[in-house]
Amino acid sequence: MALPDVDKLIRQTRQYEFSDGLRDLQMAVLLGIGGMTVWLSLEPMWITFVGNMVKVFGRWAAWVNMLPVFLAPLAVLGTLGLMNTLRRRWLWRESGIVKSSRWIVPRRVNVLSAVILLAGLALGFGLRYLGQVDDSFVLRMLWAATGWAFGYTLVGVGRHISLSRYIWLGVVGGLISTVVLFLPLTFGQTSLIFGSAWCLLLATSGIVTLRRALLSVRGQ
Amino acid sequence: MADEIKNIASLDRLIHQPARLAIMAVLSACESADFTYLLNATGLSKGNLSAHLSKLEEGSYVAIVKSFKGKYPNTSCSLTVAGRRAFNTYWKQYLALAQHLEKQETPSVSPYP
Repeated sequence: MALPDVDKLIRQTRQYEFSDGLRDLQMAVLLGIGGMTVWLSLEPMWITFVGNMVKVFGRWAAWVNMLPVFLAPLAVLGTLGLMNTLRRRWLWRESGIVKSSRWIVPRRVNVLSAVILLAGLALGFGLRYLGQVDDSFVLRMLWAATGWAFGYTLVGVGRHISLSRYIWLGVVGGLISTVVLFLPLTFGQTSLIFGSAWCLLLATSGIVTLRRALLSVRGQ
Repeated sequence: MADEIKNIASLDRLIHQPARLAIMAVLSACESADFTYLLNATGLSKGNLSAHLSKLEEGSYVAIVKSFKGKYPNTSCSLTVAGRRAFNTYWKQYLALAQHLEKQETPSVSPYP
Protein backbone atom coordinates (compact mmCIF):
# COMPACT_ATOMS: atom_id res chain seq x y z
CA MET A 1 0.00 0.00 0.00
CA ALA A 2 1.38 3.40 -1.03
CA LEU A 3 1.63 6.22 1.51
CA PRO A 4 -1.89 7.68 1.91
CA ASP A 5 -2.74 11.28 1.08
CA VAL A 6 -3.04 12.39 4.70
CA ASP A 7 -4.10 15.97 3.87
CA LYS A 8 -6.90 14.69 1.63
CA LEU A 9 -8.16 12.24 4.27
CA ILE A 10 -8.21 14.96 6.92
CA ARG A 11 -9.94 17.41 4.55
CA GLN A 12 -12.59 14.88 3.48
CA THR A 13 -13.37 13.91 7.07
CA ARG A 14 -13.68 17.54 8.17
CA GLN A 15 -15.94 18.33 5.20
CA TYR A 16 -18.15 15.28 5.80
CA GLU A 17 -20.22 17.08 8.46
CA PHE A 18 -21.19 19.71 5.88
CA SER A 19 -21.47 17.43 2.85
CA ASP A 20 -25.25 16.98 3.04
CA GLY A 21 -26.27 20.61 3.59
CA LEU A 22 -28.21 19.83 6.80
CA ARG A 23 -25.93 22.12 8.85
CA ASP A 24 -26.76 24.98 6.45
CA LEU A 25 -30.47 24.26 6.88
CA GLN A 26 -30.10 24.16 10.66
CA MET A 27 -28.40 27.58 10.65
CA ALA A 28 -31.09 28.87 8.28
CA VAL A 29 -33.86 27.79 10.68
CA LEU A 30 -32.06 29.30 13.67
CA LEU A 31 -31.43 32.67 12.02
CA GLY A 32 -34.88 32.79 10.45
CA ILE A 33 -36.64 32.08 13.74
CA GLY A 34 -34.27 34.36 15.65
CA GLY A 35 -35.00 37.33 13.38
CA MET A 36 -38.71 36.61 13.34
CA THR A 37 -39.06 36.29 17.12
CA VAL A 38 -37.23 39.56 17.79
CA TRP A 39 -39.48 41.30 15.26
CA LEU A 40 -42.61 39.68 16.69
CA SER A 41 -41.80 40.50 20.31
CA LEU A 42 -41.41 44.19 19.38
CA GLU A 43 -44.56 44.37 17.27
CA PRO A 44 -47.57 46.21 18.81
CA MET A 45 -49.78 43.47 17.34
CA TRP A 46 -48.05 40.81 19.50
CA ILE A 47 -48.11 42.98 22.62
CA THR A 48 -51.87 43.52 22.13
CA PHE A 49 -52.34 39.78 21.61
CA VAL A 50 -50.53 38.97 24.88
CA GLY A 51 -52.58 41.65 26.66
CA ASN A 52 -55.82 40.10 25.39
CA MET A 53 -54.66 36.64 26.45
CA VAL A 54 -54.01 37.93 29.98
CA LYS A 55 -57.46 39.53 30.07
CA VAL A 56 -59.20 36.32 28.99
CA PHE A 57 -57.11 33.60 30.72
CA GLY A 58 -55.58 35.44 33.69
CA ARG A 59 -52.03 36.47 34.48
CA TRP A 60 -50.60 32.99 33.76
CA ALA A 61 -51.25 33.68 30.10
CA ALA A 62 -48.41 36.23 30.25
CA TRP A 63 -46.09 33.23 29.87
CA VAL A 64 -47.06 33.30 26.19
CA ASN A 65 -44.76 36.30 26.06
CA MET A 66 -41.86 33.95 26.77
CA LEU A 67 -42.68 31.83 23.73
CA PRO A 68 -40.25 33.65 21.40
CA VAL A 69 -37.43 33.13 23.95
CA PHE A 70 -37.90 29.34 23.95
CA LEU A 71 -38.65 29.04 20.25
CA ALA A 72 -35.04 29.38 19.03
CA PRO A 73 -33.52 26.76 21.43
CA LEU A 74 -36.44 24.43 20.68
CA ALA A 75 -35.82 24.86 16.96
CA VAL A 76 -32.12 24.06 17.43
CA LEU A 77 -32.89 20.89 19.41
CA GLY A 78 -35.61 19.88 16.96
CA THR A 79 -33.46 20.32 13.87
CA LEU A 80 -30.54 18.56 15.60
CA GLY A 81 -32.73 15.52 16.34
CA LEU A 82 -34.16 15.52 12.83
CA MET A 83 -30.67 15.87 11.33
CA ASN A 84 -29.30 12.91 13.33
CA THR A 85 -32.27 10.71 12.39
CA LEU A 86 -32.05 11.58 8.70
CA ARG A 87 -28.32 10.88 8.66
CA ARG A 88 -28.49 7.62 10.61
CA ARG A 89 -31.42 6.17 8.68
CA TRP A 90 -30.73 7.47 5.22
CA LEU A 91 -27.95 9.84 4.26
CA TRP A 92 -25.04 8.28 6.17
CA ARG A 93 -26.32 4.69 6.33
CA GLU A 94 -24.02 3.49 3.56
CA SER A 95 -21.13 5.91 3.95
CA GLY A 96 -20.74 5.71 7.74
CA ILE A 97 -21.23 7.99 10.72
CA VAL A 98 -18.74 10.63 11.81
CA LYS A 99 -18.98 12.72 14.94
CA SER A 100 -17.28 15.98 14.05
CA SER A 101 -14.74 17.68 16.31
CA ARG A 102 -16.19 19.74 19.11
CA TRP A 103 -14.13 22.78 18.05
CA ILE A 104 -14.95 22.87 14.37
CA VAL A 105 -14.45 26.65 14.38
CA PRO A 106 -10.76 27.42 15.00
CA ARG A 107 -10.17 29.46 18.17
CA ARG A 108 -8.46 32.23 16.17
CA VAL A 109 -11.62 32.62 14.05
CA ASN A 110 -13.82 32.75 17.17
CA VAL A 111 -11.64 35.48 18.69
CA LEU A 112 -11.57 37.53 15.48
CA SER A 113 -15.36 37.19 15.11
CA ALA A 114 -15.81 38.60 18.61
CA VAL A 115 -13.41 41.45 17.73
CA ILE A 116 -15.42 42.20 14.54
CA LEU A 117 -18.67 42.26 16.54
CA LEU A 118 -17.23 44.58 19.19
CA ALA A 119 -15.54 46.82 16.60
CA GLY A 120 -18.84 47.14 14.72
CA LEU A 121 -20.69 48.11 17.88
CA ALA A 122 -17.93 50.55 18.87
CA LEU A 123 -18.16 52.14 15.41
CA GLY A 124 -21.93 52.54 15.78
CA PHE A 125 -21.67 54.09 19.23
CA GLY A 126 -18.71 56.24 18.12
CA LEU A 127 -20.61 57.66 15.15
CA ARG A 128 -23.64 58.30 17.40
CA TYR A 129 -21.43 60.07 19.92
CA LEU A 130 -20.07 62.30 17.14
CA GLY A 131 -23.63 63.03 16.05
CA GLN A 132 -23.13 61.59 12.56
CA VAL A 133 -25.98 59.07 12.86
CA ASP A 134 -29.26 58.61 14.75
CA ASP A 135 -30.21 56.03 17.41
CA SER A 136 -31.82 53.65 14.92
CA PHE A 137 -28.49 53.37 13.07
CA VAL A 138 -26.84 52.12 16.28
CA LEU A 139 -29.59 49.51 16.68
CA ARG A 140 -29.27 48.44 13.04
CA MET A 141 -25.51 48.23 13.57
CA LEU A 142 -26.21 45.51 16.16
CA TRP A 143 -27.50 43.24 13.39
CA ALA A 144 -24.95 44.36 10.81
CA ALA A 145 -22.04 43.63 13.18
CA THR A 146 -23.60 40.27 14.07
CA GLY A 147 -23.84 39.50 10.35
CA TRP A 148 -20.21 40.50 9.72
CA ALA A 149 -19.01 38.39 12.64
CA PHE A 150 -21.10 35.40 11.54
CA GLY A 151 -20.01 35.88 7.92
CA TYR A 152 -16.38 35.94 9.01
CA THR A 153 -16.95 32.74 11.03
CA LEU A 154 -18.31 31.03 7.92
CA VAL A 155 -15.32 32.24 5.87
CA GLY A 156 -12.98 30.99 8.62
CA VAL A 157 -14.64 27.56 8.74
CA GLY A 158 -14.66 27.42 4.93
CA ARG A 159 -10.94 28.12 4.81
CA HIS A 160 -10.19 25.71 7.68
CA ILE A 161 -11.94 22.78 6.02
CA SER A 162 -11.33 23.93 2.41
CA LEU A 163 -15.02 24.34 1.63
CA SER A 164 -15.50 27.14 -0.90
CA ARG A 165 -19.30 27.11 -0.40
CA TYR A 166 -18.88 28.52 3.11
CA ILE A 167 -16.45 31.20 1.96
CA TRP A 168 -19.03 32.43 -0.57
CA LEU A 169 -21.86 32.22 1.99
CA GLY A 170 -19.80 34.28 4.44
CA VAL A 171 -18.95 36.95 1.88
CA VAL A 172 -22.50 37.28 0.50
CA GLY A 173 -23.97 37.23 4.03
CA GLY A 174 -21.54 39.96 5.08
CA LEU A 175 -22.63 42.09 2.13
CA ILE A 176 -26.32 41.54 2.96
CA SER A 177 -25.62 42.62 6.54
CA THR A 178 -24.01 45.82 5.22
CA VAL A 179 -27.08 46.56 3.06
CA VAL A 180 -29.36 46.03 6.11
CA LEU A 181 -27.38 48.70 7.95
CA PHE A 182 -28.39 51.39 5.46
CA LEU A 183 -32.09 50.52 5.13
CA PRO A 184 -34.39 53.08 6.80
CA LEU A 185 -36.07 50.53 9.11
CA THR A 186 -36.91 50.12 12.77
CA PHE A 187 -34.97 47.64 14.94
CA GLY A 188 -37.76 45.04 14.72
CA GLN A 189 -38.06 45.32 10.95
CA THR A 190 -34.27 45.12 10.59
CA SER A 191 -34.32 41.90 12.64
CA LEU A 192 -36.93 40.40 10.34
CA ILE A 193 -35.10 41.43 7.14
CA PHE A 194 -31.72 40.31 8.51
CA GLY A 195 -33.02 36.93 9.70
CA SER A 196 -35.01 36.31 6.53
CA ALA A 197 -32.12 37.23 4.22
CA TRP A 198 -29.62 34.98 6.03
CA CYS A 199 -32.27 32.24 6.25
CA LEU A 200 -32.91 32.41 2.51
CA LEU A 201 -29.20 32.39 1.70
CA LEU A 202 -28.38 29.42 3.94
CA ALA A 203 -31.54 27.52 3.01
CA THR A 204 -30.73 27.86 -0.70
CA SER A 205 -27.23 26.54 -0.11
CA GLY A 206 -28.56 23.76 2.13
CA ILE A 207 -31.25 22.63 -0.30
CA VAL A 208 -28.86 22.56 -3.28
CA THR A 209 -26.28 20.57 -1.27
CA LEU A 210 -28.91 18.22 0.19
CA ARG A 211 -30.31 17.53 -3.29
CA ARG A 212 -26.81 16.63 -4.48
CA ALA A 213 -26.30 14.38 -1.44
CA LEU A 214 -29.66 12.64 -1.97
CA LEU A 215 -28.85 12.00 -5.62
CA SER A 216 -25.52 10.45 -4.65
CA VAL A 217 -27.25 8.28 -2.00
CA ARG A 218 -29.74 7.09 -4.62
CA GLY A 219 -26.84 6.29 -6.96
CA GLN A 220 -25.13 4.09 -4.34
CA MET B 1 23.32 12.70 7.64
CA ALA B 2 23.38 11.23 11.15
CA ASP B 3 20.57 13.61 12.13
CA GLU B 4 18.35 12.44 9.28
CA ILE B 5 18.92 8.80 10.21
CA LYS B 6 18.05 9.69 13.80
CA ASN B 7 14.88 11.46 12.59
CA ILE B 8 13.81 8.51 10.49
CA ALA B 9 14.49 6.13 13.36
CA SER B 10 12.46 8.26 15.74
CA LEU B 11 9.31 8.10 13.57
CA ASP B 12 6.57 6.20 15.39
CA ARG B 13 6.54 2.79 13.67
CA LEU B 14 3.04 1.99 14.85
CA ILE B 15 1.73 4.99 12.89
CA HIS B 16 4.21 4.87 10.00
CA GLN B 17 2.53 1.84 8.39
CA PRO B 18 0.40 3.29 5.50
CA ALA B 19 -2.92 1.68 6.49
CA ARG B 20 -2.58 2.74 10.12
CA LEU B 21 -1.46 6.23 9.04
CA ALA B 22 -4.66 6.53 6.99
CA ILE B 23 -6.79 5.43 9.96
CA MET B 24 -5.01 7.85 12.30
CA ALA B 25 -5.39 10.70 9.77
CA VAL B 26 -9.15 10.15 9.50
CA LEU B 27 -9.63 9.89 13.27
CA SER B 28 -7.47 12.97 13.89
CA ALA B 29 -9.96 15.06 11.90
CA CYS B 30 -13.02 14.13 13.97
CA GLU B 31 -14.16 13.16 17.43
CA SER B 32 -15.12 9.64 16.36
CA ALA B 33 -15.91 7.67 13.21
CA ASP B 34 -17.63 4.35 12.79
CA PHE B 35 -16.23 1.24 11.12
CA THR B 36 -18.21 1.84 7.90
CA TYR B 37 -16.80 5.34 7.44
CA LEU B 38 -13.24 4.15 8.07
CA LEU B 39 -13.81 1.35 5.57
CA ASN B 40 -14.96 3.80 2.88
CA ALA B 41 -12.36 6.47 3.63
CA THR B 42 -9.31 4.24 3.78
CA GLY B 43 -10.31 1.72 1.10
CA LEU B 44 -9.13 -1.19 3.27
CA SER B 45 -10.86 -4.55 3.46
CA LYS B 46 -12.92 -5.36 6.58
CA GLY B 47 -10.35 -7.86 7.87
CA ASN B 48 -7.42 -5.53 7.25
CA LEU B 49 -9.12 -2.58 8.89
CA SER B 50 -10.09 -4.69 11.88
CA ALA B 51 -6.52 -5.99 12.30
CA HIS B 52 -4.97 -2.51 12.08
CA LEU B 53 -7.54 -1.07 14.48
CA SER B 54 -6.71 -3.82 16.97
CA LYS B 55 -3.00 -2.96 16.73
CA LEU B 56 -3.73 0.73 17.30
CA GLU B 57 -5.97 -0.17 20.22
CA GLU B 58 -3.21 -2.33 21.71
CA GLY B 59 -0.87 0.65 21.44
CA SER B 60 -3.47 2.78 23.30
CA TYR B 61 -3.79 5.12 20.33
CA VAL B 62 -7.39 4.26 19.47
CA ALA B 63 -10.44 3.63 21.65
CA ILE B 64 -13.08 1.30 20.23
CA VAL B 65 -16.66 1.27 21.48
CA LYS B 66 -19.02 -1.47 20.29
CA SER B 67 -22.75 -0.84 20.66
CA PHE B 68 -26.10 -1.39 19.00
CA LYS B 69 -27.93 1.30 17.02
CA GLY B 70 -31.42 -0.12 16.90
CA LYS B 71 -31.02 -3.67 15.62
CA TYR B 72 -27.63 -3.11 14.02
CA PRO B 73 -24.20 -3.40 15.67
CA ASN B 74 -22.07 -0.29 15.51
CA THR B 75 -18.33 0.05 16.08
CA SER B 76 -17.21 3.56 16.89
CA CYS B 77 -13.51 4.47 16.90
CA SER B 78 -11.79 7.54 18.27
CA LEU B 79 -8.25 8.68 19.01
CA THR B 80 -7.17 8.65 22.63
CA VAL B 81 -5.29 11.66 24.03
CA ALA B 82 -2.05 9.71 23.62
CA GLY B 83 -3.04 8.78 20.07
CA ARG B 84 -3.78 12.37 19.11
CA ARG B 85 -0.49 13.54 20.60
CA ALA B 86 1.43 10.74 18.87
CA PHE B 87 -0.18 11.54 15.49
CA ASN B 88 0.62 15.25 15.80
CA THR B 89 4.24 14.48 16.71
CA TYR B 90 4.54 11.94 13.91
CA TRP B 91 3.10 14.33 11.29
CA LYS B 92 5.37 17.18 12.36
CA GLN B 93 8.44 14.92 12.19
CA TYR B 94 7.33 13.52 8.84
CA LEU B 95 6.79 16.97 7.29
CA ALA B 96 10.14 18.24 8.61
CA LEU B 97 11.89 15.21 7.18
CA ALA B 98 10.13 15.54 3.82
CA GLN B 99 11.07 19.22 3.67
CA HIS B 100 14.69 18.41 4.50
CA LEU B 101 14.92 15.73 1.82
CA GLU B 102 13.31 18.05 -0.72
CA LYS B 103 15.95 20.70 0.03
CA GLN B 104 18.72 18.17 -0.48
CA GLU B 105 17.28 17.11 -3.83
CA THR B 106 17.32 20.65 -5.24
CA PRO B 107 20.91 22.03 -5.21
CA SER B 108 21.14 25.54 -3.79
CA VAL B 109 23.79 26.60 -6.38
CA SER B 110 23.26 25.72 -10.00
CA PRO B 111 26.11 23.58 -11.38
CA TYR B 112 25.59 25.23 -14.75
CA PRO B 113 27.02 28.65 -15.58
